[in-house]
Amino acid sequence: MTATNALPERPQRRVRGRVSFTTVISWMLRITIVVTLLASAVSSVLKDRYSIDQWFDLVAFGITIGSVYALIALGYTMVYGVLRLINFAHGEIVMAGSFAGFFVAASLDSTGALNRYPILGFAAMLAIALLVSGGIAVLTERFAYRPFRHAPRLAPLICAIGVSFLLQQSFRGFFGTGLRSYPDPDWLMPPVSIFGFDVPAVQVLVVSSAIVVMVGLYLIVHKTRMGTAMRAVSEDVDVATLMGINVDRVVTFTFALGGAVGGIAGVFYGLVFKQVHFFMGFTPGIKAFGAAVLGGIGNVPGAMIGGIFLGICESVAPALLLDGFGIPAPHQMRDLVAFSLLIAVLIFRPYGIFGERLARRRG
Amino acid sequence: MNVQPILQVTNLHVSYDQIEVLRGVSLSVDHGSIVTLIGANGAGKSTLLRCISGILRPKMGSITFAGAEIGERPAHLIARSGLAHVPEGRRLFAKLTVDENLRMGAFRRNDRRGIDNDREHLLEVFPRLRERFRQVSGTLSGGEQQMVAMARALMSRPRMLLLDEPSMGLSPIMVDFVFETIRKINGEGMTILLVEQNASLALQIATNAYVIENGAISLEGSGVHLMDDPRVREAYLG
Ligand SMILES: Nc1ncnc2c1ncn2[C@@H]1O[C@H](COP(=O)(O)OP(=O)(O)OP(=O)(O)O)[C@@H](O)[C@H]1O
Ligand SMILES: [Mg+2]
Repeated sequence: MTATNALPERPQRRVRGRVSFTTVISWMLRITIVVTLLASAVSSVLKDRYSIDQWFDLVAFGITIGSVYALIALGYTMVYGVLRLINFAHGEIVMAGSFAGFFVAASLDSTGALNRYPILGFAAMLAIALLVSGGIAVLTERFAYRPFRHAPRLAPLICAIGVSFLLQQSFRGFFGTGLRSYPDPDWLMPPVSIFGFDVPAVQVLVVSSAIVVMVGLYLIVHKTRMGTAMRAVSEDVDVATLMGINVDRVVTFTFALGGAVGGIAGVFYGLVFKQVHFFMGFTPGIKAFGAAVLGGIGNVPGAMIGGIFLGICESVAPALLLDGFGIPAPHQMRDLVAFSLLIAVLIFRPYGIFGERLARRRG
Repeated sequence: MNVQPILQVTNLHVSYDQIEVLRGVSLSVDHGSIVTLIGANGAGKSTLLRCISGILRPKMGSITFAGAEIGERPAHLIARSGLAHVPEGRRLFAKLTVDENLRMGAFRRNDRRGIDNDREHLLEVFPRLRERFRQVSGTLSGGEQQMVAMARALMSRPRMLLLDEPSMGLSPIMVDFVFETIRKINGEGMTILLVEQNASLALQIATNAYVIENGAISLEGSGVHLMDDPRVREAYLG
C-alpha cells in the first residue's frame, strides 16, 4: 500500500531441509573454489620463490591501489544509495580528475614550482581535480540523468553508458590518444621506511591522503545535516520530501561529493601509475564498481573495505595463487585475478560482504 | 479569529494509472480543530492525504492551505509552508537514530535555540524517546516508532498535522496514549486531520468528521453527530 522505494526484491532464503539441484551445484562450486585456492596458496608458499620483502611490497602496493579503488567505489555507492542508479560514467569522471591533476602538475613542473612547493603543488592538483570531476558529475546528473528520474530503470542505465563514451571521446578529441606521463617530482623519490621495509613515498602519500579523505567523507555523511539528508533520501524519498528536503538538491550534493572524491582518486591513480590516457578510467571504474558491490552497494563503509580488499587481493593473489600452479608471469594476470576473485566472493555472498547484514536490518 | 478554513479540498479527483481512486472529494478543516476521516480499507483515505501533502498529483480539483493553492506546489515546499504529514505505517528512517530522525523533521529550520527547545518539549511529551535517543529507530517497538513519527513531524513546527492511522497495530494502552497525545497537541493549538480505523475513539475526539466510501465523501457532520448515525454505527462502530 505504501510506495516505499526499497532495494529491488531479494529472493527469499530457501527453506532449510529442502535441498534442490541448484543448491548442490552451487555448493560443489564453492567447495571446489576453496580447495583449489588453498592448494595453490600452500604450494606457492612451499616453493619459497618470494622473499618476505617481496610479500611486503605486494601488500603495500595492494593497500595503495585498494585505497584508490575505495575512493572510486564511494562514488558508485553513494549515488546508488540515493538514486538506485549505477553511474557507469563514474570511471570517466575519475579519468577527468586525473587529467586535471596532470595539467596542474605539468604546468607547475615546467616552472619548477612543483619541486619547490610540494605541499602547495599537491594541494593544487587535488583542488583542481576535485572541482573538475565534481563539476562534471553534477552536470552529468543534471542533463543526462535527471530527465530520466522517473523513467524505467533501463533508460538511465543506457544513458549512463552513453555519457561514459561521450566523456571518453571528448577527452580523446581534446587531448589525443597518446599516453602522457605524470610529472615525477623529487619529493616522491626517497622511499620511506615502515617496520624496517622500504616503501615508495608515493604509496605513503596516497594511502595517508586517502585515509584523510575517507574520514572526511564519513564525517560529512554522518555528522552534517546534508549528509543525514542523503541517508534519509536513500531510505525513503517520499518521506524525505515530507520533511521539506529538496531531493534534487540532495542528489546534486551526492554527485558533487562522489565526483570530487573520484577526482582525487584520479590524481592518486595517475601518481601511482605515472600516466594519463583517455581510456584510463575504464578498468579502475569497473573494478571499483565491483568493490562497491562487494561491500554491499549503497553501504559507505562497505565500499571502503571492499576497495581495499580488492586491491590487496589483486596485488597478492597472482603470486600467492597462480605461482603455485606454475603459471608463467602471473603478475600480468592481475586484472583477470581481480575479476575472478570478485566473482568467487559473490558466489559465496551474493549481496556483498555486508549485504546480508543490511538486508536483515531492513527486514 | 480566522474565518476561512486552514485547509480546503474541493472536488478532488485522483487516479493511479487508469483507475480513479478519488472521485470528487471535498472537505474542509478549520483552524484549531480535529477533523476525523473514517472509511473502509481501500476507500482512498491515504490517497487523499498523500495528495494534500503533494507526493501525489491530483488529476483535477483544488487544494488550498492557509489561503494559497497548493495543488501544483512541489511536496517539499508544501512541507515548508507548514503542513506535516505522518504517513501510514510510520515510515521512519530506520537506519537513522531517533535523534537523527528528529533532526530531519527540523530540516527546514535554522533556529538552533528553537529546535533545541522543541526537542526538549517533545521529549517531555514522549519520555520513552529520551531513553532511546541514540538508538537506531528501526529497532524500536511499534509504539515507540509511532512516537518518533509524531515527534518528527512536530519538529518542523507545523501549522497543521495530517495523521494517517496513528493507532495502527498498537496495544490498547498505547492506543489510549496516542489519542491522549493527539488531544494534548490539539489543546496547544495544533490543527489536525486524522485518518483512523479506530472509529469510536477518533469520532470522540473529533470536532468534525467525514466518512469516505469508494473515493467519495458519503457523510459529514460533527463527531458526536456521526457517532449516533445508524449507518456509521452499523458499518464502522459495529
Ligand atoms: N501506488 C498505488 N498504485 C495503484 N493503486 C494504488 C496505489 N496506492 C493505492 N492504490 C489503490 O487505491 C485505493 C485506495 O488506497 P488507499 O491507500 O488510499 O486506501 P485507504 O483508504 O488508505 O485504505 P487503508 O485503510 O487500507 O489504509 C486502493 O484500492 C488501492 O489498491
Ligand atoms: Mg491507508
